[in-house]
Amino acid sequence: MILLEINNRIIEETLTVKYKNALARLKPESIDVTVADFDGVLFHITNVNGDKTKVRVSISLKFYKQLEEHGADELLKRVYGPLLTEPETGYNVSILLDLENISDDWEDVVKKVGLLKRNCFASVFERYFRLQEDGDVSHKRAVINYRQDETLYVEAQEDRVTVVFSTVFRHEDDMVIGKVFMQELKEGRRASHTAPQVLFSHKEPPLELVDTDARVYVHSRMRAKAGELLKVLNRARPQSTTRPTERKTISGRTFVRRD
Amino acid sequence: MGDHLPACVIDVGTGYTKLGFAGNKEPQFIIPSAIAIKETAKVGDQSTRRMTKAVEDLDFFIGDEAFEATGYSVKYPVRHGLVEDWDLMERYIEQCIFKYLRAEPEDHHFLITEPPLNTPENREYLAEIMFESFNVPGLYIAVQAVLALAASWKSRTSAGRTFTGIVVDSGDGVTHIVPVAEGYVIGSCIKHIPIAGRNITSFIQSLLREREVGIPPEQSLETAKAIKERYSYICPDIAKEFGKYDSDPAKWMKKYTGVNAITKNPFDVDVGYERFLGPEIFFHPEFSNADFTVPLNEMVDEVIQSCPIDVRRGLYGNIVLSGGSTMFRDFGRRLQRDIKRSVDARLKLSTMLSEGRITPKPIDVQVISHNMQRYAVWFGGSMLGSTPEFYQVCHSKQDYMEYGPSICRHNPVFGTMT
Repeated sequence: MILLEINNRIIEETLTVKYKNALARLKPESIDVTVADFDGVLFHITNVNGDKTKVRVSISLKFYKQLEEHGADELLKRVYGPLLTEPETGYNVSILLDLENISDDWEDVVKKVGLLKRNCFASVFERYFRLQEDGDVSHKRAVINYRQDETLYVEAQEDRVTVVFSTVFRHEDDMVIGKVFMQELKEGRRASHTAPQVLFSHKEPPLELVDTDARVYVHSRMRAKAGELLKVLNRARPQSTTRPTERKTISGRTFVRRD
Repeated sequence: MGDHLPACVIDVGTGYTKLGFAGNKEPQFIIPSAIAIKETAKVGDQSTRRMTKAVEDLDFFIGDEAFEATGYSVKYPVRHGLVEDWDLMERYIEQCIFKYLRAEPEDHHFLITEPPLNTPENREYLAEIMFESFNVPGLYIAVQAVLALAASWKSRTSAGRTFTGIVVDSGDGVTHIVPVAEGYVIGSCIKHIPIAGRNITSFIQSLLREREVGIPPEQSLETAKAIKERYSYICPDIAKEFGKYDSDPAKWMKKYTGVNAITKNPFDVDVGYERFLGPEIFFHPEFSNADFTVPLNEMVDEVIQSCPIDVRRGLYGNIVLSGGSTMFRDFGRRLQRDIKRSVDARLKLSTMLSEGRITPKPIDVQVISHNMQRYAVWFGGSMLGSTPEFYQVCHSKQDYMEYGPSICRHNPVFGTMT
């Protein structure tokens, strides 16, 4: 079954090979790999200053500033601790791995590095879960622009933490499919009671976001309205009154009209 | 690259698929081109048998995971380099993109390879899948042999960077000889040789079986493979090589140590003549295959001779190696020498027949070896996919919507200016 994993396989496999080679005392080789991940994330694995035994993994997120506001730095410090290093230029976070002193738990380290992107995001959720636990609902919601014109809102309420994803479907067909798909998600609770509650609405922004200036929603409403108006206009178009003079049956015969 | 995310390069082969992001030196994933799906035993044709409810259509595995999945049937959607089952191929690509590359297809341009002699219809199918199902912004379909030529540029000066050349591509199953003139494959002259990596392995295996007794039978294939990869090389002359081994065995004989998978006891294997005899079957196929006896160098020569006369010199001057089975030490040198010999003999013959009135200009024979040979096709794709020109020649989503899948029938050659 295709279940999207939260870790990055490429990072994990690349680093595993590196560690295994180092443990087998093979000659270290230089590395320079750039890979992408969801949400426009870029990873860069390189050697620092040409030293082949030092591997640096850097991540660049376009919206890292917004994550920082919610304590991404502290969380990364807590998880990666001494592995963190001065961020490479053009990237937000860098981790340095030393292939000369390999600790016994290198497999865990590799796993942890594979989760780098997940951990960057984690801070937002952790914080709001904690706020909810403490009953602090006065905090304003977190806004993460995780993609161009798509946004993620996290808000703590008294009895729940609400996560709102705004999604833009560019194509009309996608809108239809998206709607069906969302409906399925909503139904998910029937199959499994532990599934989180999912609500979705199109056109209307959810109540949690009433006071937000959601350009996307305005756009989609404008589009919907324009579509409706077009339909009205089309209905008003005068139909051609003249009947076609000759009609044919399937075998090609014609009948003479007598009306 | 600018503000683009790196392009995705996907090279789907019969046996293995190479996946990765453009700009890198090696593919990020090399996975078997296999897919495991659930198929019901219902009556009806293939499509009705595969009909599924709800999310079952997401219930499948690809690559190595396909072999581990129980209760599924494993299928290969690609046969002889050509995609045969587009239904499975679509799902295969889906998982390649989402699970392995972790890329949002709307954000990345795609470079996908095709075998020589791929049909235009297949290109349309691929375009349909990529643009309709995955909504990619741009797609380029590149011929594998042309990418292999591009991969060899790295080791050449700018003068040698042409799209005219002959690609000797030897993987595990079969060896192809593909002539390319200015970026276009001369389809009628392609030749296949039934000798490739797998044959070398089994030949070494048979040599070991006759002599070595310590190898556990179930591990004999992997032992032969390891010996092939680690110790084998191409020698200039077998008779002399035998002499060398006999006069100084200590210097040439190697020892391979393996571990018995069951008892965990190590076992030793002496590695002797098979070091050079294994890969020698490229040049003396009769050692292992009684039905096929034309050596590789003669085959290459034959292919070039069957090509249009005006490209032959260009082809002799740019014989490019690609694929894992061309990685043996001195493979290129031996091939070059043997081809040169037959070419020189032919020139000499024409001088003799004309009784000295014609002295043909000598033909320059060059076999290009480079260190990207193993994944040459993917590397060529990665190289071209990271140039700004790539984004210009890509078929865009807009064009697709405007004109339909037929635009992907033709993919312009590019990259000669770089």
